[in-house]
Amino acid sequence: QTRIITGTVTDKMDGSSLPGVAIMVVGSNNGIQTSADGKFSLKVPTGAQSLKFTYVGYLSKTLTVTGNVINVALEQDSKQLSEIVVTGYGTQRKADNVGSIARVSSKELENKPVQSFDQALGGKAAGVQITIPNGVLNNPPVIRIRGTNSISLSSFPLIVIDGIATFTGDASGSSAAGNALASINPNDIESIDVLKDAAAAAIYGSRAANGVLIVTTKKGKSGKATVSYDAWVGSVKPRNLEPLLDAFQYTDLKNEALKNFGTYNTGPTGTRAFFALTNDASGNPINTNWYDYIYREGFSHSNTVSISGGNESTSYYLSGNFTAQEGIIVKNDYNRKSGLFKIDHKEGKMFLLGGKISYTNQENLAATSSGSLPGEAFGTGGLGRLAIVTAPNVAPLNPDGSYSIFNATTIGRMGNVGSDVGFYNPSTVIDLDRSNNELNTVQSNFYLQANLTPWLNLKTVYGIDYILSDNDAFFNPINGGSAASLGSAAKSLNKNKRWVWTNTAQADYTFSEKHNFSLLLGNEQQRSESDGFSGSRTTLSDLAFDNYAAGFATPATAGAVGENYLVSFFSRFNYDFNKKYFLTANLRQDEYSAFGANNKKGIFYGVGIGWEIAQEKFWTKAGLDNLFTTFKIRGSYGTIGNFSGLGNLASYSFYGTGLYAGASTLVPTQTGNDQIGWETSDKLDVGFNFGILNDKITVEAAYYKNSLGGLIYNVPQVPSAGLPSTPQINIASMYNKGYELTVNADPVRTNNFSWNTSLNISFNENKITSLSQGIDQFLTTTSGLESASISRVGSSLGMIYAVPTAGVDPATGRRIFIEKATGKKVLYSHNITTSGFLRWSYEDGTAAPVISINDAQVAGNTQPKFVGGFSNNFRYKKFDLTTTLTYQLGFSIYYGTNAGLRDQRFWNNSTDMLRRWTTPGQITDIPKLNFTDNVSNGSSFPIDVNIYKGDFVKLRNISLGYTLPTQFLSKAKISSARLYVSGDNLLILTKYPGSDPEVSSNGNSTSSLGVERNSVANGRTLTAGLSLKF
Amino acid sequence: CQKDLLTPDSETQVSTLDLAQFSTVARIDGQVRGLYTGLRAADFYGGRYIVYNELRADNYVAQSSNSVTATQTYAYTLGNGAQEVNGFWASAYNTINRCNLFIEGMAAKGNAVIGDATGKNYIAEAKMIRAICYYSLLTLYARPYYDGNGSKPGLPLRLTGNSVSGNFDLARSTVAEVYTQVLKDLNEAEIDLPANYSTALNNTIRAHKNTAIAYKTRVYLTMQRYADVVTEANKIVPLVAPFTATSGVAHALQADITNVFKTPYTTTESILSMPFVSGTENAAGQSALGSYFFGVVLYSMNPTGIIADAGWKSTDKRRSFIGSRSGFTVLSKYPTLAASNYADYVPIIRYAEVLLNLGEALARSTTSVNPRAVALLNAVRNRSDATTTFLVTGFAAPQALYDAFLKERNIELLGEGFRSPDLLRLGLTIPGKESIPAVLPSSPLYIWPIPSSELLYNKLMTDNL
Repeated sequence: QTRIITGTVTDKMDGSSLPGVAIMVVGSNNGIQTSADGKFSLKVPTGAQSLKFTYVGYLSKTLTVTGNVINVALEQDSKQLSEIVVTGYGTQRKADNVGSIARVSSKELENKPVQSFDQALGGKAAGVQITIPNGVLNNPPVIRIRGTNSISLSSFPLIVIDGIATFTGDASGSSAAGNALASINPNDIESIDVLKDAAAAAIYGSRAANGVLIVTTKKGKSGKATVSYDAWVGSVKPRNLEPLLDAFQYTDLKNEALKNFGTYNTGPTGTRAFFALTNDASGNPINTNWYDYIYREGFSHSNTVSISGGNESTSYYLSGNFTAQEGIIVKNDYNRKSGLFKIDHKEGKMFLLGGKISYTNQENLAATSSGSLPGEAFGTGGLGRLAIVTAPNVAPLNPDGSYSIFNATTIGRMGNVGSDVGFYNPSTVIDLDRSNNELNTVQSNFYLQANLTPWLNLKTVYGIDYILSDNDAFFNPINGGSAASLGSAAKSLNKNKRWVWTNTAQADYTFSEKHNFSLLLGNEQQRSESDGFSGSRTTLSDLAFDNYAAGFATPATAGAVGENYLVSFFSRFNYDFNKKYFLTANLRQDEYSAFGANNKKGIFYGVGIGWEIAQEKFWTKAGLDNLFTTFKIRGSYGTIGNFSGLGNLASYSFYGTGLYAGASTLVPTQTGNDQIGWETSDKLDVGFNFGILNDKITVEAAYYKNSLGGLIYNVPQVPSAGLPSTPQINIASMYNKGYELTVNADPVRTNNFSWNTSLNISFNENKITSLSQGIDQFLTTTSGLESASISRVGSSLGMIYAVPTAGVDPATGRRIFIEKATGKKVLYSHNITTSGFLRWSYEDGTAAPVISINDAQVAGNTQPKFVGGFSNNFRYKKFDLTTTLTYQLGFSIYYGTNAGLRDQRFWNNSTDMLRRWTTPGQITDIPKLNFTDNVSNGSSFPIDVNIYKGDFVKLRNISLGYTLPTQFLSKAKISSARLYVSGDNLLILTKYPGSDPEVSSNGNSTSSLGVERNSVANGRTLTAGLSLKF
Repeated sequence: CQKDLLTPDSETQVSTLDLAQFSTVARIDGQVRGLYTGLRAADFYGGRYIVYNELRADNYVAQSSNSVTATQTYAYTLGNGAQEVNGFWASAYNTINRCNLFIEGMAAKGNAVIGDATGKNYIAEAKMIRAICYYSLLTLYARPYYDGNGSKPGLPLRLTGNSVSGNFDLARSTVAEVYTQVLKDLNEAEIDLPANYSTALNNTIRAHKNTAIAYKTRVYLTMQRYADVVTEANKIVPLVAPFTATSGVAHALQADITNVFKTPYTTTESILSMPFVSGTENAAGQSALGSYFFGVVLYSMNPTGIIADAGWKSTDKRRSFIGSRSGFTVLSKYPTLAASNYADYVPIIRYAEVLLNLGEALARSTTSVNPRAVALLNAVRNRSDATTTFLVTGFAAPQALYDAFLKERNIELLGEGFRSPDLLRLGLTIPGKESIPAVLPSSPLYIWPIPSSELLYNKLMTDNL
């Protein structure tokens, strides 16, 4: 006798119906699957007591049969989702893996107000440090995995997207940043696996020393087509801008500075110099806050639609994204249109084939330089700088509405006499100039896999990665960078093309049920080519036209080409005995075109072992299994390489061509090194993972040491040797060592309330152990001007280097410096004509030598000792709340902007200057004002006054969501809907006085991080969004 | 796998494998011209070297406080780390190394490709350029020759080419040793340089015999070896007017000095100049003379400098180089603007200088007032100011004639980088200007410090004290 039981299976989180859920009558072989709409109807013998519901990725549930209708809500199993890790050329059960791999899932990347996924990785994985260096849209974040692993080359990890190593860095050639990784819609990403140690990363050989990020995009799952729609709108505002003098304060202080310097002169003739207020058209004094002209509240939105589904043999995924985002700098916009199509097909029993096509169009738009990208810090027209330097007692426009200008490169002085009051007129360049970039990206691959036997398959994958970068710039003829040339326009096109062809054979075999073997053999070729053309034209003939194609004289053109080729053979061997003892070995041989003639080929390896103690009998005998579900000890060692950032032709010495009065020239241009090779990283990693209380709490801990050798260093040659460039030589060594700890806990899980939490913390120590013969230290400049960073043997890369000071002399208001040679106090007097002081003197008034950068001392570490993140997810009924904190602790920042904010040239100043020294006996930290004094406050050379602790804890994200009850939705055929609001960067706990301790002027530089000079701040973002599933 | 892709060839540059840069006549020709572009570099005669020597003296006042545009030189606040101190040093030594590499490469391969006769000419050009580099370095980084007769620390003297990394520690030779090498190069160049070229352009932008001779008059004058100045100058200056060179290129003063400073810039007065061509060979914005003194008015004329001199009449043609821009009195000798990429030719040696070198040397060689010296002084003055003629009897004492020459140089060569070297070679105090005090010959500020980068990486290098 039987009866029929019917019901619906849904997702507990969002209420959507689940197709394909297996339902078994407990104690029988009787079972069925839910249909496409999650419904089932099952004949059950009367005696049957209960039904078991199981579904991949969800916690199984067993229910007692009570009536004829059983509706079930299954809960997602976050652990099961992370069961698999992607290892490069394959996947592995996380439990079997002995390498150090951190996984970030799609949930943590979706629907964030970012341009690229890497911006959302901060705090998500132990050992991964993400720094967002400024508020310029689509600027590549700085990524460091287990510290900075290079000196002269890049320390940016290898990024592999769906099996293809992709281009990274700023692909824009304009003043608008264009992160190459933004071509991927973050919502299309299924997972990111971070390979950190040799056992995991050695499979990528000569490119893996900085770690590897393997990005896997979503693919279709068999079942009814699922349509998803995700949308958010957001608003971003600048936060924590430095307070500046207003027009009245500026005028008073600058006149005071002129008087102190003895050059204040309002007389009728001669060298008049004074500052004065100017009235606007309505008769009120002009008091301009330049922040209002340069910063704004930016609005953004993003829309993604995806369809995925399939049947047993074919599955598909199609998505489209449109996002339009505005940054906090006026006219800094980002627009992306992207599409991804993936298909996977099983043909018969033997063949699998499929592929993907993704196309993305991105516009990175800017009016002019932000002054915040690497190399721009001292640009005259950088907006970050113009905002703080331009006098507040002048206006952008004259009363007649024309731009107020003094000459081609400086803003009009209005009532001020005898001195500039700014660089470019910000409004002129913002209104009239543009520096735009457009990126068209195609990423595509096709694969064919033959399963020759159940344990052996062959696979071939061919992929392409193309970035076409178009740049379009115009500089007006009125005021700004090209006004002296009567305007200019420039265009450029750079093509970056790469193909990768990978062939692998994979065998997996189990002997005697306990010996599990897996062997991978492969070959890969990677070919990259670049080709670029650029033109610029000056002398605009008609202001009505600002297009490169119209109305200019004097063209100039240029081009650039590049190529490289990497051919590799690799193998991986995995063995485990009864899931108790594990062994992994990776081997890779790379040959790379950029290496020196006799140094093309390198061999890299990594070996890892693991021991799952919880499987041992003594463990259970000791009763430890009551507490520990798993306990695995693992260790790995290997040698891998890095050549990221090495020039394609670095091994050659070159002569290049030019012109001399119209005839060709040939001059030395590059000092090559025919021995150049890869940098090596010997990676040691030991650690353990355990889960307690049925995996309610899991802990991963690791100790690592990366010993870096043969680091390429641009070995400075004696300047008088006259070499054309600094040769790159594999000469330096360094190490990073540290600890990582990740704790995931699931403390509460009830029907109505759940809480899970994740904490990760990484401690890293970086030390240079040798440089080159005779050189034990080197300085790194910010934008070629300011040397605030020193790297020396025995300490970390990029320490702050500044001249020590000892405050301000209360008697005379002079800055006191410390002479390095003697430790004596040296007082500086900017005014030597009327003050009666020597420019540099000891306390007793006798002459002292000039204090300069030569008196600087190492003054602070810019690499954080601790970095990490702390995430919490709460769910109460239909509400969910997520918070992410990130932190970086134990480091210093050279706040160079502060030197500018206190510079006594015409520059506007911070309100700090209101406490300047004015009276003998006064105790203050701000010296007496002297017009044109650029020494006392650190503009001329870095001083210790501008060094600050950078430690911060940031509320990176807080987000509150509400899932709509299913009954409201079913009429609209909507299976689930979630609404949320979210805030990014809302709160920063720090003692750093600048706008944001993450801000950095030198981008991806290895040896000059932790310096801020004239950068624009990061914004604070609020978003509201909606996710629908049909 | 495609093995050939592992050894790519550059599609844009000549690799030095097998001295390929000497493999064809065209490449060797290109290299010779490339030596001159070393002189023409932004930090050198592309403007900055002249700017520095002008700003050190008293003829300008700063209208900018930007340390990138030489205010530290102007205000004597330079440290070893200053951009100009490091930049000019590197630029000059880079050019020296080009010359050294070229001289060696010609011996190893180039002469066989191009023939010994032409090879000799070319090597002489390289020596000429090397001499200019060392002399120019001495003017800023070493004590003047008079101070101890060249016994003070000079420069690291490098005469072999460097092409790969290595240990390049080298101590300073004395000032005298460097001068000896400069004169050796110039003497050898004089022998092997061609007498002239087929075009006026090449006679202006490439070295010929008279270039070496003319330059020697400058070097000997700096060393106060006045008899040698006279010997050299006499090779190209007749005993009496008209003063026109009678061998090699027929150098002569132009009737109108303004013709020397405008298109085509290739009169016989210009013995050596650096060419700039708008659009293809631009002068860099923050280096060009036209940008400093005229276009951007970074520095305007000091009202109490030489322009205040009462003896420099308003009708003097050279007053036409004193112009007005943005309300400032400025030097308009280099009037090309940014829109035309500051494409003024930059003079290195003019015949007028040779006449003044000779005249001053004659004057300083005797204790009386030398009439030929006065004639040479008049040649330069009368060309621009026919109404002022100096008389032998007008000079009460030889010192008055010395002073007249110094003033004439200050007027005639204004903006050409002579004022500071003229003061230094004679051990004169550098006058102050505005709020900047005068600099005594005994002051450490009298010459530049040694670049911090050289001190850091060359273990045998010593700083100026």
